[in-house]
Amino acid sequence: MNLRSYIDLYQLLDGHALTHEENRAFALKNDLQAQSSLRMLLAWVRAHQNSLSSPAQSAKFCKYLYIVSLVLGVLALVLGVMTGIGLLSYSGKEPVNLIYFLAVAAFIPLFTMLLALFSMLRANQAQSLLIHISPAYWMEKIVGFFSQEARAALSKLTINPLLLNWLVIKRSQLLALLFAIGLLLALLGIVATKDIAFAWSTTIQVSPKQFHTFLETLSWPWSSLFPSAVPSVDLITQSQYFRLGETLDSGMVANAARLGEWWKFLACATLFYAIVVRFGMWLLASFGFHQALKESLMSLEGVERLLFEMNTPLVTTTAPKQEIVFAQEIHQYSRVLQTVDPHYKTTLGWAMSKNDIVILNDSMQVSSECVFDIGGTNTLYEDEKIISGLQGEVLLYVKSWEPPTMDMMDALLAIITQVDKITLLPTGTKEDGYIPTSRELNIWERKIQTLNHPKVWLCRIN
Amino acid sequence: MSHQLTAPHPKFAVVGHPNKGKSSIVASLAQDDTVQISDTPGTTIKSRSFPLRMDGEIIYELFDTPGFQRARSVLAWLEKHDVPAHKRAEAVEAFINTHRENERFSDEIELLTPIMEGAGIIYVVDGSKPYGEEYEAEMEILRWTGQPSMALINHIGENDYSQEWRRALEQYFRIVREYDPMETDPQQQVLLLESMAQLDESWRVPLKHSIVLFEGRRDQKLEQSAKTIAHLVQSMLSHLEQFRFSGEDVEDTDRQKLLKNYQQHLRALEQKSQKFIEQLWSHQHLQKEQESLLFEGVDLFSKESASIFGLSRQEMVVTGVTGGAVTGAGIDLLFAGHTLLLGGAIGAVVGGVGAYFGFDELSGIKVLGKTLGKRYLEMGPMENRNFPYILLGRSLYHLHKVAARSHAKRGAVTLTMDETFKEKWLDDQSRKSLEKFHKRFRSGDEISSGEIQAYEALVLACLKKIV
Repeated sequence: MNLRSYIDLYQLLDGHALTHEENRAFALKNDLQAQSSLRMLLAWVRAHQNSLSSPAQSAKFCKYLYIVSLVLGVLALVLGVMTGIGLLSYSGKEPVNLIYFLAVAAFIPLFTMLLALFSMLRANQAQSLLIHISPAYWMEKIVGFFSQEARAALSKLTINPLLLNWLVIKRSQLLALLFAIGLLLALLGIVATKDIAFAWSTTIQVSPKQFHTFLETLSWPWSSLFPSAVPSVDLITQSQYFRLGETLDSGMVANAARLGEWWKFLACATLFYAIVVRFGMWLLASFGFHQALKESLMSLEGVERLLFEMNTPLVTTTAPKQEIVFAQEIHQYSRVLQTVDPHYKTTLGWAMSKNDIVILNDSMQVSSECVFDIGGTNTLYEDEKIISGLQGEVLLYVKSWEPPTMDMMDALLAIITQVDKITLLPTGTKEDGYIPTSRELNIWERKIQTLNHPKVWLCRIN
Repeated sequence: MSHQLTAPHPKFAVVGHPNKGKSSIVASLAQDDTVQISDTPGTTIKSRSFPLRMDGEIIYELFDTPGFQRARSVLAWLEKHDVPAHKRAEAVEAFINTHRENERFSDEIELLTPIMEGAGIIYVVDGSKPYGEEYEAEMEILRWTGQPSMALINHIGENDYSQEWRRALEQYFRIVREYDPMETDPQQQVLLLESMAQLDESWRVPLKHSIVLFEGRRDQKLEQSAKTIAHLVQSMLSHLEQFRFSGEDVEDTDRQKLLKNYQQHLRALEQKSQKFIEQLWSHQHLQKEQESLLFEGVDLFSKESASIFGLSRQEMVVTGVTGGAVTGAGIDLLFAGHTLLLGGAIGAVVGGVGAYFGFDELSGIKVLGKTLGKRYLEMGPMENRNFPYILLGRSLYHLHKVAARSHAKRGAVTLTMDETFKEKWLDDQSRKSLEKFHKRFRSGDEISSGEIQAYEALVLACLKKIV
């Protein structure tokens, strides 16, 4: 898990959304169900990052971040060396006040580390002043020197503020570490190439014994490993320096060789406080960054849905194939009657009893010489027999609510061959007073239209 | 269970007379709004399979089939082959094989094929119309197939002839149930699946499994909907809209443009959220009479929307007073009451006054940046205290409509206004709880995942009151 995976995931979720089916299939195929959410996400990113346009935004961002970090890192190292040289510059007239060096090598790092710790505690706050006085400001300045294209690419990215804070905290620890290495290199280089007389001087009334106690406490981390790097009371007494008077104290001159021994203490102080502890801070910042990365990954928009899709069995109920439907062009049927004639040669009823037909005739005030029921429970042979005897004008009652089946249409076609005219009269239910609805009549009209025969008429009574 | 699931999955052919709601029942059971449902008989001309799959494995399969067209002719053919009862299924097979290429019987072949391949029969009739003797040929053919069968009485119209239907159907089918595909009650679906399970002993396990899946799926849909709505409210309330302008002074037109962009962005967020919820509830093809964002022309930022879905000024002030008083009381507690409870009193006044004056305005506009002559106007986070309630009301109302819509329904969904809707989901207690989070969202601070989860739980609780 790194910054690249975060940016890749951000980009994949933003523009390369896959379906629930694809995500679930991926989880099953890679046997990810038993894995942690984070592992699932990272596996998903690894599998899909090739679909991102090359170079990916993550590659661009990491490249720019590397350039910025490299520039600032080199600057910090050079600044450390220069500071060391400056602090240890020795003309031979006056000894080097080791308090200045100690301040830069131990006290300032300790103070800045305290601030960094405070920043770490408040890294979850989007607006932290302490973070914005950090190298982030200079990082932004360097980005300002990038090409228009590079700045545009960076501006497209929206990185979680929590992650950005930790990124800056981690980078600032690295820069401080490089600065300290530069400082140590300068100390070792100067000590190796020059003879330097170290002394200590302060306006505060501090006795050598008190100063020794303080330095002994400071040297505690390395006192057992390097006892010679712990200044003795004698050395402290001999190297106390007062600037009054133009010449050096004769005692100091006599012990000039011993005054150089301070370098061991200063080197150990730099190594421990500015480098080892800072390295510890860098590790802590790396851990914090890792945690922030984890949290940011999990809180990216779309992650919850992706995990849900990978973890939840895909349940589908829909048809895999498109439906083939019957489409019919609709025209108005031209042979439509609004009233029923009073007399017909024969009255037929489709799928209804003779009794029902008689009642319908009575209700519609229709008289006929013969009444037959066809369809329904009749056999095809019975229908054929009835139809073969038909002639003249025929009225056919049909149930309006029952859609016209092909069985009925077959019978209708057979009737046409025998009669001069057939009128279809769709009737509603008894409860509705035998009045059909327009919707039902429309269904019948559409069906009759498919036949479009000059002998077939439709009676619309509603 | 896994052993039984590896056995051939249960299949069910939904068959019947044309236009009796077979496709509606399939659409309702399969929760698929792509099924063609029409009042024109013969719309379905090919059998269509609707498998319930879990991770690709079919649990059961439904077949939507064309209606019987020439049942009497088929029965005549079958009866012509005078076969004993135990060979009747073979006669049906023979009919299919003989007439496979015959267009006259294409509908019967389509509907009988899945049955003869082992599908159980779900015979559908319309209980709102009288029983007819023409159905007997169809039922007799189905009896000839020898497959386990049940009948479903569907109610397309208002009249009720279910008793006469039941008497007739019980002579042909062991199980007769009533089912309304337009009704989205999950219990109705569970009962139907349980009935289907009774048709064959080996189908019980997969169908019980499917019931568990359906129930779990509904819970997941509710949770996902709550998350979507919670996220919508949070992102809308905390949204910042920037507008770049050049020149020294801010023109009124610049402010208007910024306001327009801000509102458009929020509308787009609401629309996106609505689309997601429609997809989640398998209503991808839902057509709304109005544009998706407008509720009958009642825009998200309109006064009508505020009056129907939002809190009244009085409710808003009460919420503000309560919230302020609670904060103030915290201060009193901190000073062990030495503040003479002034903290609570001042908090209540500040909260109430803030709520009163922040009732209508959306957000202030700030001028930002002065580098190289480029300056920005910024709007947000949302300051209007009523807005989250309007938004929640609209979102819950939309979800309520989508979740309650049967997949068998076609045509536009009418999102009509219902002024009593607010009372169904919002009570004093939930209003107080919601307000705490709305305050946090308005602050523009980073919101922790824990807070979001707590808010989601609140929205889910409100949602369960209406769905």
